[in-house]
Amino acid sequence: MHDKTATLIGSALVLLALPFVVPLLGLTSSTATQIVVLAISALGLNMMMGYTGLVSFGHAAWFGLAAYAAALAQKHLFHGQILLPMLAGLVFVALLSLIVGALLLRRRGVYFALMTLALSALTFSIAFRWTAVTGGEDGLGGFDRSTLLPLDLSDNLTYYYFTAAIGLVVLFGLIRVVHSPFGHVLKAIRENQERAEFQGYAVNRYKLGVFVLSSTVTGLGGILSGFQHYIVTAESTSIEFSGELLAMVVIGGMRGHILGPAVGVLFFTLFREVLSGWTSDWLFWFGIVFVGFVMYLPGGIVGIVQKIRHTLSPPPDTAAAMSNRKIYEGLDLPASLRPAPFKKAEVLSATSVSKNFGGIRAVREAGLSVAPGQIHALIGPNGAGKTTLFNLISGKYAPTGGQITLDGHSIAGLPPHRISQAGLARSFQITSLFEGLTIRENLRLSFQAQHAGRYNMWRDVDSYTDIDAETAELIRFLGLEGIEDTLGADLSYGGQRLVDLGIALATKPQMLLLDEPLAGLAAAERERVSRLITTMAQYIPVLIVEHDIDRILGLSDVVTVMNDGAVLVSGTPDEIRNDTRVQEVYTGTGTPAVTGARAANEAQGTPVLQVENLHSYYGKSHILNGAALEVRQGEIVALLGRNGAGKSTFLKSVSGLVRPRDGTVKFAGTDIAGMSAPDVARAGVGYVPQGRGLFSGMTVRDNLALGRLARPRGEGGAYWTEERIFDYFPRLKERITSHADFLSGGEQQMLAIARALSADVKLLLLDEPFEGLAPAVVEDLFRVLDQLRTVVPIIIVEHNLDLVLALSDRVYAMEQGAVFHEGPASDLLDDLDYRKKILWL
Amino acid sequence: MQIVFLLEQVVNGLVLGGYYLLIALGLSLIFSVGGIVNLSHGAFYALGAYVFVTISGVTGFTLGVVVSPVLVALLGILFERFILRRFYREDPILSLLVTFGLALVAEQGIRMLWGSAPLPANLPSEIRGSVILGPFLFSKYRLLMLAVIAAVLAAIWLLLNKTSFGRVVRAGIQDPDMVAALGIRLQPYMTAVVMLGVGLAALGGAMFAPITTVHPAMGAEILTIAFVVVIIGGLGSFWGVVCAAMLVGVVRGVTVFFLPAASEASMYVLMFLILLLRPRGLLGESIQKFES
Repeated sequence: MHDKTATLIGSALVLLALPFVVPLLGLTSSTATQIVVLAISALGLNMMMGYTGLVSFGHAAWFGLAAYAAALAQKHLFHGQILLPMLAGLVFVALLSLIVGALLLRRRGVYFALMTLALSALTFSIAFRWTAVTGGEDGLGGFDRSTLLPLDLSDNLTYYYFTAAIGLVVLFGLIRVVHSPFGHVLKAIRENQERAEFQGYAVNRYKLGVFVLSSTVTGLGGILSGFQHYIVTAESTSIEFSGELLAMVVIGGMRGHILGPAVGVLFFTLFREVLSGWTSDWLFWFGIVFVGFVMYLPGGIVGIVQKIRHTLSPPPDTAAAMSNRKIYEGLDLPASLRPAPFKKAEVLSATSVSKNFGGIRAVREAGLSVAPGQIHALIGPNGAGKTTLFNLISGKYAPTGGQITLDGHSIAGLPPHRISQAGLARSFQITSLFEGLTIRENLRLSFQAQHAGRYNMWRDVDSYTDIDAETAELIRFLGLEGIEDTLGADLSYGGQRLVDLGIALATKPQMLLLDEPLAGLAAAERERVSRLITTMAQYIPVLIVEHDIDRILGLSDVVTVMNDGAVLVSGTPDEIRNDTRVQEVYTGTGTPAVTGARAANEAQGTPVLQVENLHSYYGKSHILNGAALEVRQGEIVALLGRNGAGKSTFLKSVSGLVRPRDGTVKFAGTDIAGMSAPDVARAGVGYVPQGRGLFSGMTVRDNLALGRLARPRGEGGAYWTEERIFDYFPRLKERITSHADFLSGGEQQMLAIARALSADVKLLLLDEPFEGLAPAVVEDLFRVLDQLRTVVPIIIVEHNLDLVLALSDRVYAMEQGAVFHEGPASDLLDDLDYRKKILWL
Repeated sequence: MQIVFLLEQVVNGLVLGGYYLLIALGLSLIFSVGGIVNLSHGAFYALGAYVFVTISGVTGFTLGVVVSPVLVALLGILFERFILRRFYREDPILSLLVTFGLALVAEQGIRMLWGSAPLPANLPSEIRGSVILGPFLFSKYRLLMLAVIAAVLAAIWLLLNKTSFGRVVRAGIQDPDMVAALGIRLQPYMTAVVMLGVGLAALGGAMFAPITTVHPAMGAEILTIAFVVVIIGGLGSFWGVVCAAMLVGVVRGVTVFFLPAASEASMYVLMFLILLLRPRGLLGESIQKFES
């Protein structure tokens, strides 16, 4: 590409001119050499920081160590030579960084950054203290650069051009790496490491690779610096110098352009040279500039330039991208994606797979089997363990027990990239793609993961015509043609879902796991993606989790139903549709274990909460879509609906934990929509989240005290004194000094409710209060809530329909973020057929 | 005689460990509550020492040791309000870079205000000298410091575990949303924790000023050690940090005895060893946000 050539030619010209420009600013030509030396090191550091997203606070370690190694090699091994000592220094740093990197990369993120900080401190301490070898405080001198025939490198200008030539070679090499398959995987790791793993990349090898590359290039700068000054000192390995390098990279710009760090070096050097003439405190001002850049201009100088350029000539608006695509109906799955015939009758087989998290058995002895050509649906209520089973099969977690085989080969307990390489791909419930890469790059990365050239650091990624052809075919198949160059981040939610699915498909799997591929899609798009899945499944068997039960029963060949972590039943869609156990899981038996008092008087109380047209989002996904609801004094209102219908988000939007984008929430006369959670709580809304949200390590008393701490008591409305709470929850009084963690499930739930009530509470929001409780406890809690209704109105989200219908006065049923049914609970409780009509199929 | 000397070094190591603890504990607290790894923490330590030297020169030792941490804690309000608060919900790497830059600014700022040369700090005569306990000879001041550090540690433990302030802070670490849903605004608690953290660092600086050199780079020096402690102990774990601080102190104390030149390197080696055996530190937990 001519972009790369332009970068190289431009850099060459600048390097040629630099020694003549620098004196004009009153600086010596050795400043020019220093700029080149630092630029090489900064470019090296940026391979990790900008391209891979690994922040190193310790790169001076490599800068200094390489220089020491070269000096010692020249002194003891290659007397009078220059190239061999340089090479020795590089080899030393490469080997050492391989070992150190393998250790440091065991940890990620902030931890990794801190470890590199410690590395720099360690090398400084060694360089400073090991006087016999390093010369300690005085530094290690005696570099000899006189003899590289026919050049006389002791001449400063000659040495400048020597380093400049090396700098150009380094730049050329790094441009190659950045545009190679290897370089693209680095970007993928930066954008979304987990996705890259599930694409089949051995992420740790790439990270180690770039660690060694980056350290070695930075070390090269250190060696050249040593020969320039004829000395290496301990300071060159210090944290201070590490920080300066880092600051140069950040100020120049980590991501905008490969030369960003070099621009930063130029800035740093000129800043220092110009300002140090005026004040000895130039570093103070430099620090302030650095902080300013991080806080206000994280794109660096290159970022500013790009911003200006974009303002002058705005890039085409890609926001409405999805409408520009070309959709071809009825395409067959591209031939390159069709797997070879299977050896076994079962492509995927899982037998008695279990997983424990701490004491909780998330999946118990689950088993299923998928045959060629099948769409196998996995359904079940919230918390049934479907996604966990996906995670066990795809390698996110290792199963505690059981076997999983893919076409006869065991894959249980393998890391994700090995499972992906074995031929199993997955999509994600929470969309997972590379937001900073284009659609084409997203998909191409998947094909590349299966390609022999996936570790190639030299060949241009655009020169793999086979991969490009496959990518283009897939883009056509998915219906994304015409918008290939749109960034993942700029896509609509539906577009992102489709790319997520495409990333899985493009790894050429033998078996495909799709986690809610239709969720959140518009109706037409649902139809189209369903057809795509049917087409794929003719060649690649599909295991699919989906909450749209009507659609999935229509689509699939076999259905497995999970409940409470175990497989309830497997069968054909018709068998499942008519299976009473399955119906019970979803709609209940119609015979509740307990019955409540229900509002005795049919006369309506005054409204406490009136919600209208509520809209809420998580990122791009539109969760609440005009939901409306009313709660009156003296009643319990149940909020029903399938998984993902938006029930929990509704409660969170009322309580202020999620800020609704539109709509009104009128509570006790004022609109609380958009108020912060603490303000809503102080206004009198008590909220109990799913899972109870108790504070562990604290006693019952402590938990209650936190409920009482900051909310008004007694000023207006009914204050829930401790005595009054104990009237309703006598068990809590007995267990007041127990740790919340040691309470039984029922006691924990009662504590959570009691805590939510511990103030002037006029409305109670309960999310799945009966979840995970034993039958006897369910009854206790039921009676308490039954009594509470006369004093505080309640909204309850609960998947046990028998219970919640027996308890509540009125019912709202939600689907896709809006209420589609509203009515008295009794009708649904008594008439099971009516219930099925409304809530099941 | 050798054994006695070694034991003395162990005790000196414990003092050293206690001193690291003052820095590391504040670091760990700010990290737990705000998710921010404060690379400018060492700067507050250095400030504590410099402010102590300035104040104690006028008013005497005791007032210096008390006032300096308070002043630095007040500075912490500005630090939290104008810098940290912007980064609670951001990529932790950004706050790492910002606080790193601030450390640079602070160190240079100290040079501008107080000069580059080390400053002397004197002990009042009544706490100079040594005491003999059995076969051991201890500096009076070091024993006094150990007592102060133990008292501070106990006070912090009580604050975190026995007061409603501590309950809110711990609850906020576990589940900030639930705390908000109980009507509690976490913001003032964040400010208070940052004040506490930097105040502790300043206390460390003030107490150690008389027995170490007060120089502009002292913040950077202590910072890396504090991070080694925190990495060994596990970010955010109270007892992990306590154990790690003592361990690092003792290891340094003992290597000073056997191989003085390696006393700094020894703790880094210890850190890498522990990392090999326990990737999350002694008592650390996995916190998703900081590992992605």
